Amino acid sequence: MRATPTSARARTVVSLLIACACAAALAACGTKQDTISPPAAKPFTVMLDWFPNADHAPLYAAISHGYFDQVGLDVRPIVPSETAEPLKLLAAGKVDMAISYEPQLLLARDQGLKLVSIAALVQRPLTSIIALPSAHVQKVADLAGKRVGTAGLAYQAAELRTALQSAGVSPSSVQEADVGFNLVGAMLSGKVAATLGGYWNYEALQLEQMHKHPIVIPVDHAGVPSYDELVLVVRSEEARLDGQDLRAFLQALTRGAQQVRSNPAAAAALIVKANPAAEMKLQTASIEKTLPATLPSNKSNPYGWQDPSAWAAFGSWMLAHGLIHSNPNTAGLPPFTNEFLPGQGI
Amino acid sequence: MTRRLLHALPAAALALALVGAWEGYVDLGLVNPIVLPAPHEIASVAWSNAGLLAANLELTAQEVGLGVLLALLFGFVLGVLIHLSPALRRAVYPLAVGSQAVPIALIGVLLVFWWGFGVLPKLFVIVLICFFPVVVTTVDGLSAVDPDQLKLLRTLGASRWQALRFGELPAAVPAALSGARIALAVGVIGAYIAETSTATSGPYAGLGHQINADINGLQTPRAYAAAAVLFLFAIACFYTLALAERVLAPWAHRPRGESR
Amino acid sequence: MSTQLKSRDRATHESDSTRGGVALQGVSRAYRDRGGASVAALSGVSLRATHGELLAVVGPSGCGKTTLLELICGLQRPDEGTVACGPAVLMPQRDLLLPWLSALDNAALALRIAGRSRREARADAGALFAELGLDGFQRARPHELSGGMRQRVAFLRTLLSRKPVLCLDEPLSALDAITREELRDWLCGALVREPRTVVLVTHDVEEAIVLADRVAVLSARPGRVLAEIAVDLPRPRTPTAPAVIALRQRALHGLREGAHQL
Repeated sequence: MRATPTSARARTVVSLLIACACAAALAACGTKQDTISPPAAKPFTVMLDWFPNADHAPLYAAISHGYFDQVGLDVRPIVPSETAEPLKLLAAGKVDMAISYEPQLLLARDQGLKLVSIAALVQRPLTSIIALPSAHVQKVADLAGKRVGTAGLAYQAAELRTALQSAGVSPSSVQEADVGFNLVGAMLSGKVAATLGGYWNYEALQLEQMHKHPIVIPVDHAGVPSYDELVLVVRSEEARLDGQDLRAFLQALTRGAQQVRSNPAAAAALIVKANPAAEMKLQTASIEKTLPATLPSNKSNPYGWQDPSAWAAFGSWMLAHGLIHSNPNTAGLPPFTNEFLPGQGI
Repeated sequence: MTRRLLHALPAAALALALVGAWEGYVDLGLVNPIVLPAPHEIASVAWSNAGLLAANLELTAQEVGLGVLLALLFGFVLGVLIHLSPALRRAVYPLAVGSQAVPIALIGVLLVFWWGFGVLPKLFVIVLICFFPVVVTTVDGLSAVDPDQLKLLRTLGASRWQALRFGELPAAVPAALSGARIALAVGVIGAYIAETSTATSGPYAGLGHQINADINGLQTPRAYAAAAVLFLFAIACFYTLALAERVLAPWAHRPRGESR
Repeated sequence: MSTQLKSRDRATHESDSTRGGVALQGVSRAYRDRGGASVAALSGVSLRATHGELLAVVGPSGCGKTTLLELICGLQRPDEGTVACGPAVLMPQRDLLLPWLSALDNAALALRIAGRSRREARADAGALFAELGLDGFQRARPHELSGGMRQRVAFLRTLLSRKPVLCLDEPLSALDAITREELRDWLCGALVREPRTVVLVTHDVEEAIVLADRVAVLSARPGRVLAEIAVDLPRPRTPTAPAVIALRQRALHGLREGAHQL
């Protein structure tokens, strides 16, 4: 029986290949290219609430036009792995600013996190009750006896209950289902009659662009007190100590917002660049549709204004529904401040 | 070479049949394309997004390559240590078992808190998911070593370390490699979990992250295209390892059909 | 041409052991079987072999022959009695070649363990390959070799360990008659060139007579020494020679008697 020669050469080749693969992988660890900024620019990480989308347009516009660089800030957006992450990492000191939702901020403060909102990106709720024509839901009252899907957040369930009660429907007659964040899929598959949690400037637009003609009822038109859907949050400490940076940030952001207003399509292009999953047509439509909601109703108030009476009313609503346990209007410092907005403050 | 291609024929045929059935299922209107797109649509989207898919595949491949390699090293070393020290085994083994039940979504935030927004948290997740099969197979492989061979080595004058080096470790390599095969197969889904449980900066963050973003952006066909790339990548990894195994541990393979 | 294995004058136990002899005195050894009961393997065994002597041990299966060899090699310690031996190497019944090493690397194993470099060890081992008819198979893996070839590689490995005492556990029993004779001749030749103390365990009485200077006959379990037969015949010995046959009968008689004593 002939003996086969040891394939030492083949072993060397494979070992070399594996070594090369390792080297390449190790090299990958260090290939994150950060923007080379002039020595004066301070790194400033902003954690988004979700994947980059139309609501973040002012931020990306300000970055792209160099407005942050001009005030000495090197702003880096970070995408979270889920919506609860931004406030956690902000409180832990890992990021400088988080984009979040007013309800979520109040929940976090109720749990003792020392955070404060310094500006509102969107002045009204975007959360809506959305239904397809095939579900035969024209108004909230039509939800009786049907199944409604939410993204599983506690305050969405409370919003649904409030909407039903305002329409005179007993909440027990409506089945609630947690469909995660795939609300559109749930509706299209016919598993739920309607959803609460989709945005009138996002999911509703997606459906409209698919020619599905959805029925859209924003929650603040259904009996839920108005709140700021998207807010910029920082640690209370920073608000006390780094007021200058925050003020500069908001100045640059305001200029970015102006850019978005004057050229929505260019702004949409920036979103698509930051998020390849985003689609130009949808993002442009979304930016245009959202514009009115990004400005305060009272023209004399600056961009990013947060309405104290609206915040108070919403805080009381959350307390009444058992979502929080201490009254944000009376316990400690207020959850928001307008002092850093352009033209405001001491 | 032709023989290898012939070996691949049954799998290719089966895959083709399944894809054909899938295409029919969608074209007949039995399911809404937003929920399950047709294969032809997925293929055309994959073609037009080849650049994006390639960029994300490169990132995921790097994570899987490095992560699984680290898992193999860590798992193997831990397996050897557990084999050598019963005290360590009693201390570490139950914890290793429990580590498999840790919800990654929960610790994702912690990992980012420790190591930032780069690739390190993802590597940790992959190592966590993949190291355990390697530990188990290594320990089992070492325990199954022929005790007579170890006796023989002792009479030849081998120290404990030499017995390990000449006798136990090489004997355990086939078992460890089978653990490696499992680790690699799990590693690809591990990369998906890692990418969707840890925060990222930058538009390219691997195929898993892209699938998530595409699901959210209602780009379902492209999400499926990315999933298909992951599927094929996992197969390629598996068979590459099988090839490496044949070269590095040829004694574990008896050529079929040769009589003794 | 007759060759004589060197034999030394009888010396004291101590110098025997320091010079590479074997001395067992009153050795008993028991082990626990699967049920936990104590089984006596050897009982009161006293055996000696001087340096350069080949002692064959015959006996029925299960009489503790393997235990005896393991005691000599230091793998086990006696429950009673003393074992004084020079450094010993064991050649087990199964060749136990490491399947991931080539034939050459297997043969050179003891040298590598002793700290020699791979190149040196391979050179030393390779020099002997031709003598054993293994030339050309240095790079072959064990699973590519026949049983007889594997046994030869195991022999080489045993010899190359350079230990003064060789314990051979039925090394030729698994081979066919022709290979067995070849290896027998080779072993004799090797021992002439490099005298070692050899303790050879075999169930083949004829083989024992042909190879050994002395033959010890063990009883069935627990093993006791029934008889010691000196084989003072010149070498080479043919199995058909009357003297050999006579000694063979004596040994078989001893075995049968031992069986009767049960």
